[in-house]
Amino acid sequence: MTLPAPAPIYYSKRLRLYLSDLWSRREFVWFLAIGNFKARNASTALGLFWWVLNPLLLSLVYYLVFGVLFDVGRDIIYLMAGMFVFHFTSQSLTGGANAVLQNSKLLANLRFPRIILPIANLIEATLGFLVSLGVLLVIAMLAGLPGLRDLEWSSGLPGPGFFLLLIIIPLQLMFNLGLAAIAARLAVPFRDINNFIPYLNRIWLYLSPIIWPLSFLDDRPVMGRFAEWNPMFALISVYRTALINYEFQPRMLLYSAVWSLVVFVVGVGLFVRYEGNIVRHL
Amino acid sequence: MSTRPAILVEDVSVRFRPYVDRKPTLRRSLGRLRHREQEEVIALDGVSFRVAKGEAYGIIGRNGAGKSTLLRCIAGTLRPNSGKVVVNGKLSTLLQLGVGFNPELSGHRNIYLGALAAGLRKKEIDQIFDDIVEYADLGSAIDRPVKTYSSGMFSKLAFSVSMHLDPDVLLLDEVLAVGDVAFRAKSMKTMQELLDKSGTIVFVSHSLESVEGFCDRVLWLQDGRVMAEGDSVEVVGLYKEAATGSTKNA
Repeated sequence: MTLPAPAPIYYSKRLRLYLSDLWSRREFVWFLAIGNFKARNASTALGLFWWVLNPLLLSLVYYLVFGVLFDVGRDIIYLMAGMFVFHFTSQSLTGGANAVLQNSKLLANLRFPRIILPIANLIEATLGFLVSLGVLLVIAMLAGLPGLRDLEWSSGLPGPGFFLLLIIIPLQLMFNLGLAAIAARLAVPFRDINNFIPYLNRIWLYLSPIIWPLSFLDDRPVMGRFAEWNPMFALISVYRTALINYEFQPRMLLYSAVWSLVVFVVGVGLFVRYEGNIVRHL
Repeated sequence: MSTRPAILVEDVSVRFRPYVDRKPTLRRSLGRLRHREQEEVIALDGVSFRVAKGEAYGIIGRNGAGKSTLLRCIAGTLRPNSGKVVVNGKLSTLLQLGVGFNPELSGHRNIYLGALAAGLRKKEIDQIFDDIVEYADLGSAIDRPVKTYSSGMFSKLAFSVSMHLDPDVLLLDEVLAVGDVAFRAKSMKTMQELLDKSGTIVFVSHSLESVEGFCDRVLWLQDGRVMAEGDSVEVVGLYKEAATGSTKNA
């Protein structure tokens, strides 16, 4: 039996100990994530479909409002690709803070590396995201996008751009975890942050190239100059190359990597340094 | 080795800074100690004691006296502002029942979740799984979602998981009165077995009879300070005196 020895060591000061503790708890992380995933899917009639339905319905709503009503952009596959990717990150941002706030019982009673909670939440969101990516590819194929014909998708041979997923998904995972950790770090002592996050998500959505086409920036030089600073701009661009065969811009991959690494290191660092104080604020 | 105490608490103080706009969890745990005007709330103030191996140690006191805060310090989930806490041995906490359980999932699944949360490996749980199920004695309900359980059934499952973690030190917060009469007798017997193996039990309870009957020594906390500590019959007697005195005044 290996119950953790509760010596008065506080993780934050010893990174190696923290990491080995985290690694020894990997089964717990997995069970927590799968458990939450199952539980969430069991409690609604449509279950797993909501993972797809949420961004899908959101895409349709924005397509109707901006694509049809305001005639900003007509390409729904473009919109969906952006929306699904954005939804994954915004879910992590919302879920990261909640994962800590809603597990006060667990936190107050048991010792474990606290980052486990945002990680489990991220795994749960990732499962949903992967399902939604699959659906997106099917829809894109059905829509008969010329890009997909170029990829010879129907013959089961993915094009070279598709393999960018192997880089961009891990990068987005790091980005999301860092973001979730920052949200949790701030929301535990300041609950107000939780009320603010939906608005942050909303404005971030509008500032990202999702509901407006890239050509939208051409006659807006000021916005155009700053648009690329948005980490979602870079991430979504790479995803569009991978999923719907948009032109590959190495610059965007570089931006994605830099953003992800910085947010990951800063977010996780802030969280781990703070986590000894979480129970005090629950 | 045997001279080392199982638990050593030295001059432990915990202060909270409650904010009015925060979720009430913190305030609830502080209970009556809360004063909005006050900037800082002292939950524990220089508490010291030690618990020997094989000892059953009770903690009593009114709501908000700091009992749960003290257990959290021993469990290592709350860092005291000052003072030292040392626990020798593997610790199992039952501060609240069913920690780590997910009510939407089956009892089966929750045994794994609860035990993994407590720090076991999956392989180890595989080995004790049948014992946990048998001890909890829930029959076919073990495959039903835990949200369909009665509170007694829930407690039985949670208690069974905690007892099978094979702890050296067991922390119990007001969870002795679980299940039906038969299960209560069984749980008492299990705890006695733990003590006989020179395990240690710390438990917080408002049931003075069970504290008096079960514990060797008792600590009485009030407003975060130790009022009395020592022989269980003696301390419980003092506490009762004070309690009836204050109700008469009120």
